[in-house]
Amino acid sequence: MMRYLLRRSAHAVFLLIGVSLLAFAFTVLAPGNYFDEMRLNPQIAPETIAALRAEYELNRPLPIRYVHWVSSVLHGDMGFSFAYNTPVTPLLLVRARNTLLLTVTAMVLAWGIALPLGIWSAEHLRRLPDRLVSWGTATLLVIPDLALALGLLLIAVKSGGLPTGGMVSLNFENLSFLGKLRDLLLHMALPVVALVLSVLPLLVRHVRAAVAEVLHAPFLLAAEGHGIPRRTLLYRYALPAAANPLISLFGFSIGTLLSGSLLIEVVMSWPGLGPFLLEAILARDIYVVIGGVLLSTLFLVGGNFLADLLLYWADPRIRTEGNA
Amino acid sequence: MKPARANCSSRRIVWILPFVLAALFAQRIAYSQPQKNSKEELLVLPGEIGRSGGRLVVALRAEPKTLNPLIAADTPSREVIGAMQADLVHINRATQLTEPALAKSWKISPDGLQYTLVLRRGLKFSDGYPLDADDVLFTFRVYLDEKVHAPQRDLLMFEGKPLTVRKVDSQTIVFQLPKPYGVAERLFDGLAILPRHLLEKPYEEGRIAQLGALTTAPNQWVGLGPFRLKEYAAGQRLVLERNPYYWKADTKGNRLPYLDELVFLFVPSADAQVLRFQSGETDVISRLGAENFAALSRQQGDYTMVDAGPGLEYNFLFFNLNEPNEKTSAEIVQKQKWFREVKFRQAVSAAIDREAIVRLVYQGRGAPLWGLVTPGNRHWKDEKLPHAPRSLERARMLLKEAGFSWTTASNAESTLVDSSGKPVEFSIITSSSNAERTKMAALIQDDLKQVGMRVQVAPLEFRSLLDRVTQTKEYEACILGIASFDADPNSDINVWLSSGGTHLWNPSQAHPATPWEADIDRLINEQMYARTFEQRKKLYDRAQELLWEYQPMIFLASPDILTGARKSVGNFHPAVLEPYVLWNVEQLYQKNEAVNASR
Amino acid sequence: MSGRRTLSAWLVPLLVLHLIVIFASFFAPYDPTEQDRKNPYLPPMRVHFVDSKGHFHSRPFVYPPKLREGSFDQYEEDTTRTVPMKFLVRGASYQLLGLIPSRLHLFGADSERIYLLGSDAYGRDQLSRFLYGGRVSLFAGLLGAGVTLLLGLFIGAAAGFYGGWRDDLLMRLAELFLALPWLYLLFGLRAFLPLAVSPLQAFFLIIAVLGALGWARPARLVRGVVLSAKERDFVRAARGFGATDGYLLRRHILPETSSVLLTQAAILVPQFILAEMTLSFLGLGVPEPAPSWGNLLSSLQQYSVLISYWWMYLPALIMLPFFLGYLGLGSELQERMEPYKIGR
Repeated sequence: MMRYLLRRSAHAVFLLIGVSLLAFAFTVLAPGNYFDEMRLNPQIAPETIAALRAEYELNRPLPIRYVHWVSSVLHGDMGFSFAYNTPVTPLLLVRARNTLLLTVTAMVLAWGIALPLGIWSAEHLRRLPDRLVSWGTATLLVIPDLALALGLLLIAVKSGGLPTGGMVSLNFENLSFLGKLRDLLLHMALPVVALVLSVLPLLVRHVRAAVAEVLHAPFLLAAEGHGIPRRTLLYRYALPAAANPLISLFGFSIGTLLSGSLLIEVVMSWPGLGPFLLEAILARDIYVVIGGVLLSTLFLVGGNFLADLLLYWADPRIRTEGNA
Repeated sequence: MKPARANCSSRRIVWILPFVLAALFAQRIAYSQPQKNSKEELLVLPGEIGRSGGRLVVALRAEPKTLNPLIAADTPSREVIGAMQADLVHINRATQLTEPALAKSWKISPDGLQYTLVLRRGLKFSDGYPLDADDVLFTFRVYLDEKVHAPQRDLLMFEGKPLTVRKVDSQTIVFQLPKPYGVAERLFDGLAILPRHLLEKPYEEGRIAQLGALTTAPNQWVGLGPFRLKEYAAGQRLVLERNPYYWKADTKGNRLPYLDELVFLFVPSADAQVLRFQSGETDVISRLGAENFAALSRQQGDYTMVDAGPGLEYNFLFFNLNEPNEKTSAEIVQKQKWFREVKFRQAVSAAIDREAIVRLVYQGRGAPLWGLVTPGNRHWKDEKLPHAPRSLERARMLLKEAGFSWTTASNAESTLVDSSGKPVEFSIITSSSNAERTKMAALIQDDLKQVGMRVQVAPLEFRSLLDRVTQTKEYEACILGIASFDADPNSDINVWLSSGGTHLWNPSQAHPATPWEADIDRLINEQMYARTFEQRKKLYDRAQELLWEYQPMIFLASPDILTGARKSVGNFHPAVLEPYVLWNVEQLYQKNEAVNASR
Repeated sequence: MSGRRTLSAWLVPLLVLHLIVIFASFFAPYDPTEQDRKNPYLPPMRVHFVDSKGHFHSRPFVYPPKLREGSFDQYEEDTTRTVPMKFLVRGASYQLLGLIPSRLHLFGADSERIYLLGSDAYGRDQLSRFLYGGRVSLFAGLLGAGVTLLLGLFIGAAAGFYGGWRDDLLMRLAELFLALPWLYLLFGLRAFLPLAVSPLQAFFLIIAVLGALGWARPARLVRGVVLSAKERDFVRAARGFGATDGYLLRRHILPETSSVLLTQAAILVPQFILAEMTLSFLGLGVPEPAPSWGNLLSSLQQYSVLISYWWMYLPALIMLPFFLGYLGLGSELQERMEPYKIGR
């Protein structure tokens, strides 16, 4: 087991190096650079732009920039943001924390809804409840996430009960602890709902398919014959048997914790990585982008690693191979 | 804390405002010097008396990046800095004319080379530290320092030579220009005066550009503007508080600003800004698209929507007229033969339905455009410029004269072909993030189909588009828009001059490529150094007429500045110059006591 | 067997829907790119049988729209005259299936244009845009999903079946693919393409880009299932009898992945149609003025449309049956795979 852990960690390091190298290469392929937009400002002379480019080493060869960047990563800075004129790490960490607050909540909720809903749907395969779930998921699939988020915001405006964006109210600092908690939860409500609705179709469909597949397996029929209650049957026996694809899916859920909510954060003005990275991507603030990529790669690797461990633990057949 | 430097100047010099631009100054409102405090010469602003207190919440499209005017390049940073800093001479956004600011008066020497500015008495930075001529000297030393790379430096260079600054006494500064300059005092607008007591040491250590991050402690960042830094929450908001030392007052003698707090929320999507305004979470909104303006106007709320009229943004179509080099594709070189034909460009211009653009893109909230100067520019518009309506006949006639003809296939529409029989086909690139310009492209495509041109629209992500236009020059035609900072022609100087970087159809030329570009260069340079408004206007009009005649930029339309505010916001008078709604932020006030209680 | 009947119950309507889209040029009344600049954002016209005076008409008709005084997009019906609908009329010319020139349309009218789904910002007919758009989007979505799943299946199966270093390599590769900032590569890719991308080029671009970028997830799902399947008793037994790898994969292991793949397919098709919006932003999607479902859906993401122009949502509503059909077909097929499962 220890050897396995070590091997996976080594892989992760190689992967991070690979990702950073390729990300660097991609930034060179993409046309334009951060200082280009100044070119449209009639009041800034091209010489000034050239001087700025030189100062930020944009004229240096890629290997040199990469080496400088790696040393900056080792110092904990992850490079320098052109736009903010400061190291990248502190910029990213504050926002990553906000994003995680949102996405972890949404993930827990989404799985909490998707499991019973998918099982319910599989249990009533091709009967009314299943059809209803099908209709619901299909509808969610055709509505773009952004339109969904806007619709939710509009409902909030019309009803007046919920804030339409941001993370906390302006008077947050003056609230009591409970008041702060309530304020935060109110602000989280809409983005969390939007996120849950956007991942729900995928999860529900997979849970339904996986459970439907094992539902007629002999061991379940036998268990039913032994008079084991239906609920126990579904959750204690059917679900673990169907777990294999769901575990891989769960790995993805973890992998997308940092990157999956970008657009919804933008529309809901959530102060997370979304608006920040989107702006950086479009503005070619490349070290911010690479930093964001690396951070989400960590989650991706972690998620997949966790999924592999879970697969190993949940599926006795894979375990036998592991020992072999 | 009152350091002894304050009483350095014992002499009392009374300057009479020099009326260099007499014609422009005719409508000037008289500014009186208040004598409330003999040591303090507050600037008294006319206008509605407001209620002190309260807070105004504004949304910004993106997070500001810095508070440092030396490196700020993005709109949100400039907007925030505008509320925290002050300039010597200021351009009034409503009248579009200069008026005294930190300098209470200025005088120009007869040869036009020397500007003598006198500072207001008793000025203090937002930390209470007094300001004097040394701060001004320091400021300009920093701006002009090549190593700082301040964008402001480019404004202060005249044909490669910098302007020089000299101190006469603690209140008086002399600026020496290397050449007479038409409107030098407009230069001072937006040039924030920096606090020497805080910045001199970092400057000498060469790290002044690293200062002013948003995470700076509030007491480490001071300015002369109406507000000062209070709090920053990353990704969420920036809170400014009232600067108690601000140097303006209302006619009743109340020190401005009225508001206790100015809050900038970061709301990254246009639609989200609309929703937050509608829900009452923000107090004012600007930079609205016509469709959102209509949507807000259609629904009732406790807000008023104001169409401030056409702004200074001009949208235009231009063709690639760059000199081909070895990397230019043969296809572009071949198409440039058409693009270089003046009559071809005139025909395209005649075939475009500008009225339809204004109606369908801006829902009527905009103005069709035939030149670079928009109807929103009060003083520089050329009235003689023809407002040619769409004419397909004229377009066809011009094309025929230029040797083009039409072939008609059996079932399809007729196709325009050039003299060698090649069908006229080209693509227009446009920024995919700008829905309005993409719409214009779709309309133009349809317009030009009617004279037999086959046009493809290629929406590109903005940086990729800029890269093609300014670097690789791999494009055929492009639609872009530029919003002038100032009504004065000199703010668009690099669009006009063939050597300019924003002379987009063929930027940064060593020598003017065509005789008419040489003519425009000459006219623009002359107007820059002409002394009277009439002279300048005459030269500038001629340049506008040349631009219209040769159509290197085919002007399309200019959108209105669309804004809105809660009914509780007083003194709300949006202007068509940036910052559209916050230009008079020191006079904005909240009418109701309880308005912020719920937030 | 009742399974066969329900399968056709899903297949037949889907087939009809696809045929309508394939023969869009006949069913659509107008050229989808034609602008009618006096009628921007026109709401859907109501089809009447009874006129304002209470007379019954045997031929359905509409009232022409009239712009309300002083407004940009507020219309009312001009009840002073009727525009009768005509069927099988001659209109804009087109080439059926790109081959047969024709001018025949299902319906139309003589003097005025009829907008059954309303018009967009340029006064283009939304119904025609929907039908024509489906030709690109639906098939790009289907093909894109097919390519993605095929890639995912091969890579996932190889990783799961062979295991060891091959599994490690392929799965790290999948992670690399998921982690990279593709947007930047696509920016770069766009710079190498010709300025104007034709709808046909866009069609293949969408398939290629989505297929190339999308395989990593299905591959991981497939791998997990294969890992487990290859250790089943009957597989081990078959191996013991000397079955080849190819036989094992084909006969015993890949069928186990069907449920995961079908579910992915049903979800990927709509996702790919939406992904086209992102590609349009990069200039890699279907270019204006050619319609596509992605373009139609992208206009829904605007607040002003949500508030003012509800009929822009109708295309999304009509897309639903397509996707429901896929979902239904998917679970039906899954049911039919069941015989394999019973014998485990």
